Amino acid sequence: MLNAAKSEFSVANAYRYDRRSPSRWLIAHVMRYRWFFLATLLFYIGTYAAYTASEALIGQAIGTVIEPDSLALLPTIALSILGLKLLDAVLSLLGVLAIEVIAQRMEVDSREELYANLLGKSQTFHNQQRVGDIMARATEDVQQLNGMINPGVAITLESIVGIAVPLVFIAMLRLELLLVPVVFIAAYLIAVVGYVRRLNPVVRRQREQFGKMNANLEESISGIEVVKASAQEAFERRKFRIAASLFRDFFVRQGYIEARYLPLLFFGIALGLAFMHGLLLYQQGLLRLGDVVALMGIMGVLRWPTLASFFSISLIQAGLEGGRRIVNILNTETELDQNSGGYKQPMRGEIAFENVSFAYGRVHALRNITFSIRQGQTVAIVGQTGSGKSTLTQLINRTYDVTGGRVLIDGVDVRDWDLDALRSQIGKIEQDVFLFSRSIAENIAFGVPDATQEQIEEAARMAQAHDFIMSFKDGYRTLVGERGVTLSGGQRQRIAIARAFLSNPRILILDDSTSAIDSATEDEIQRAIRQVQQGRTTLLITHRLSQIRWADMILVLDGGELVACGAHEELLRRSPHYRRIFARYDVALPPLEPVPIN
Amino acid sequence: MGFILDGLDAEAYDRQYDDRQLLRRIIGYFQPELRRMLLVAFTTLLDTLVRAAVPIVISRAVDEVSQTQSESLILTYGLLVAGLGASAWLFNLIRRSLTGEAVGNVVLKIREDAFDAVMKRDLSFYDQFPSGKIVSRVTSDTQAFSTVVTLTIDLISQLVLVGALLIYLFFVDAVLALVVLGMVPLIVGTALAFRKIARFTVQHSRRVRAEVSALVQETVAGISVAKTFRQEHAIYADFLKLNRRAFWINLRMGIVFSGIFPLLALIVAFAMAAVVYFGGLRVQLGALSAGDWYLFAQVVALIWFPLTSIASFWNQFQLGLASGERVFALIDSEPRVVQHDKRVLPHIRGEIAFKHVHFSYTDKERVLENFSLHIRPGETVALVGHTGAGKSSIGKLIARFYEFQAGSITIDGVDIRALDLSAYRAQLGVVTQAPFLFDGTVRENIRYGKAGASDAEVERAARQVGNGDWLKSLSDGLDTEVGERGSNLSMGQRQLVALARVMLQNPAIFILDEATASVDPLTETLIQEGLDAIMKGRTSIVIAHRLSTVRHADRIIVLKKGQIIEEGNHEELLRRGGHYAELYNTYFRHQSLEYIEAQRKPDVTPAN
Repeated sequence: MLNAAKSEFSVANAYRYDRRSPSRWLIAHVMRYRWFFLATLLFYIGTYAAYTASEALIGQAIGTVIEPDSLALLPTIALSILGLKLLDAVLSLLGVLAIEVIAQRMEVDSREELYANLLGKSQTFHNQQRVGDIMARATEDVQQLNGMINPGVAITLESIVGIAVPLVFIAMLRLELLLVPVVFIAAYLIAVVGYVRRLNPVVRRQREQFGKMNANLEESISGIEVVKASAQEAFERRKFRIAASLFRDFFVRQGYIEARYLPLLFFGIALGLAFMHGLLLYQQGLLRLGDVVALMGIMGVLRWPTLASFFSISLIQAGLEGGRRIVNILNTETELDQNSGGYKQPMRGEIAFENVSFAYGRVHALRNITFSIRQGQTVAIVGQTGSGKSTLTQLINRTYDVTGGRVLIDGVDVRDWDLDALRSQIGKIEQDVFLFSRSIAENIAFGVPDATQEQIEEAARMAQAHDFIMSFKDGYRTLVGERGVTLSGGQRQRIAIARAFLSNPRILILDDSTSAIDSATEDEIQRAIRQVQQGRTTLLITHRLSQIRWADMILVLDGGELVACGAHEELLRRSPHYRRIFARYDVALPPLEPVPIN
Repeated sequence: MGFILDGLDAEAYDRQYDDRQLLRRIIGYFQPELRRMLLVAFTTLLDTLVRAAVPIVISRAVDEVSQTQSESLILTYGLLVAGLGASAWLFNLIRRSLTGEAVGNVVLKIREDAFDAVMKRDLSFYDQFPSGKIVSRVTSDTQAFSTVVTLTIDLISQLVLVGALLIYLFFVDAVLALVVLGMVPLIVGTALAFRKIARFTVQHSRRVRAEVSALVQETVAGISVAKTFRQEHAIYADFLKLNRRAFWINLRMGIVFSGIFPLLALIVAFAMAAVVYFGGLRVQLGALSAGDWYLFAQVVALIWFPLTSIASFWNQFQLGLASGERVFALIDSEPRVVQHDKRVLPHIRGEIAFKHVHFSYTDKERVLENFSLHIRPGETVALVGHTGAGKSSIGKLIARFYEFQAGSITIDGVDIRALDLSAYRAQLGVVTQAPFLFDGTVRENIRYGKAGASDAEVERAARQVGNGDWLKSLSDGLDTEVGERGSNLSMGQRQLVALARVMLQNPAIFILDEATASVDPLTETLIQEGLDAIMKGRTSIVIAHRLSTVRHADRIIVLKKGQIIEEGNHEELLRRGGHYAELYNTYFRHQSLEYIEAQRKPDVTPAN
């Protein structure tokens, strides 16, 4: 399969579903449990047959008891009704059990499939998706699939069976009697389609409006200091009132539409007409009185299947919608592949950018960048937010591929490297250091699961993290995250640095934007960063002037272009951008030299 | 089935209302809807009567037609049943439409009241209660309340139906009616027992779903770490274990929920068989007509569904009332900041005086004790001190965000409690530590400082900050969408927008709580240049975290535990070697040029 070949991760012996379209995919999931589905259908037919028969029997019983000397039959009739009703209940229970299994498997299987697929997607894909969106797919959408099967499909099946079976019973009483129910069902189908068409948009807009009202309010409250300081309470009040009245309007309109549910009217009329029809046939001697009562009982069976089915339509729609979104993700091609069999050598750590350009879609992030870094150098990248600092580093470990030019490591284009060999020798410390909800030791040893406790502690010491780790009650076994301790940005960063010492990459990319509140912590962070630079090529995206000041080379980016490049003294003389930073330190700056034109 | 279990925790401003107060309050809100509600009650009654009449009419018809088989009688009864069905629909239509209108209006009014109440609170209220909880009171609790009102009206109509039928049955045949009545406690009891089990399984299922969500969230958020270290297999194995466990727990819940109706049907089966048997006996005895016997069978089928909803209703009703109670508590809580006059100072010079001020956020600890400070018009004052020294409180008291307990604060010699707050705050520029931006464009956010400012004015203000160079880093300049809470912009950019906002507002007094978050050096330079421009010529109070700010301040106020212990300029204070010197070594030393110059990397040769 094409998408399997492009994946960065795959599971052996995974069940394969047809992903050519959302409906095929959904059917493939259901078909995996086809015997359960068939069982559900049979149980439903059984339960409705028993139910309808019991209602018919009650009617027949009237005809019987009116006759004299029928007392002996009464226990038989009562017991038959009891038997049929019990059979109805038991079969219906078995039916829901079977479909419940399909529904729950649907949720779990599709989540499993999606999860494995997500692990196989490239970083490019993940950077383009918001975490919240993916979360919604893996939780809400898969739950909607569950709801689509039960009660969605379950009710639909029940409606079909629950309409067909009573019709058969009515036909058995007398074929002409089908006239009223069949006309009713036709009218009902037309009415229900119109109803759903009117209702859905209003429900959707009402939900959206509720979201907007909430978001509005949340914003006014979170920004209350600004609201009050700017004396804008009246403005916020007006905003909220408009949002709240719009919500009221949709709420009321939904009430109107629901109140006008036509099938209910049709059913009431059909009941009267069927009654009349039955009585007329009785008058003509074509039907017994007991049959007329039986007819009314059977008509009553039709009530639930017809009234409930509109409810299932929206559930199935939601499920299809969710399925479509999931399949979209499953089928999104991931641009990078493992490239196993590519260049696979120990890395020295020389980096060269040759006329590199990069664009996210149509937005140019980097334009025509050229520079080279020697093995073991420390390079600081300086620029405002959005100038392309992070993007530049992301091209090195192939988080993204260039859209023009080349990035070379040790003289080899990164696209020719084996992805595993490339990434395992490039370490990266993100701005927001991500730690898993595990122990500190496990987090430090994340890339090297077989590291010994001594190695872990050694790495933590070099990263200036040992002392604060030992200050926790459980030391290295302290849990991080929701159920454990909350670490400060500086502490997380030092754990990440420890991680880097352990995995010992040849190139280290450090996005260092944490700030130290006090000078003592600053000292420790400085020491850790200086320590980790030793013996490897290091790229720093940093806010620390001291790191920039003493880097071997400084790249100054502005709007995706490399506007200056060189060491501190050189840039002070050449780059107005760079000078401006130091100007506020009241130091005597060397005279500005004209930028050489190359 | 609404298991509304979230958000039930009580808050400090909650108060207990007795049932009568609560009811009076609710009725008060329904007062303007009186005519609608009367019509609702009337149509509910009609709807119920008509629906109860259908099986009765059918049973009468069966009896009569079996006696005299006249065609006109048949037509009459047939049309009567159809007509009753149609009018039931019509009454229901009117009832539901009117209910929707009434509930919609009432909830809107409650929401508006709740919002107004929230806006009147001072900041002590917002410190105490997280914004999410306040929001949920104004929107979700009112929503829950409205659901319960609708639900109650529906349930009453169903109960009236069941009651009307049962009463009629008693008139027809009291003995058989008792048989039917016998199933009522059985069904209600089963439904109640079911709720206990259901709640248990729902809680488990919710917990496991939350676990799955957390795991997926962690994976997606940390995917780059997993990929960099090639740990996908380990993560997948963890997921698989949890996902499989989730299957069994959810299956159990699904079975409990789907199983309840077949279970109740079992009880109904026995009731039905009993009615058929005993009814048949009584027909034979001549105590009951065949039509009435049919009616009994119909009623058994008709009433059991409403009965199950009674079981779940009580709980929902209480939750709904509790929601109402929470909203009213929010509306009724009192703000602490109270102005005793509405004086307007057209041109504030910016002279601020604290005299013997006592202030605390809570009853527990004093923040300022007998605090006095005089700030001259146009002066730039930097406040420094350890966390908790009272720096921010001074700024917040000047902004009148909090009430102080004793002493006086005057602005240009006028008591701050006598000022018209909106007019006063319009001349006050405040930039908080983490500047808050509203979803919208940069332009709209700057304009927030002065409603109705022209585009040219907004642009001029933006250019006065850092020479406008920061605008180039925004993708669409002033029209860049800042995203929710400004999430599309960096921290530094948000500060620049906040500065431009103040620049546009052109206030007499400027209060700045300097950010501690780090900003890239270029943006930092622009912020500094912007601050220089704002502080020129106006009274500025800065809670300082930056070395350059304290160095350029006219006067540094050194605070310790709510007291001024030193004041003067940077050089003087540093020479003195007191608390300021200690603060300098703790917070400012690493920002100095000397420190930067000392961080030279030791010369290292590349490792082999």
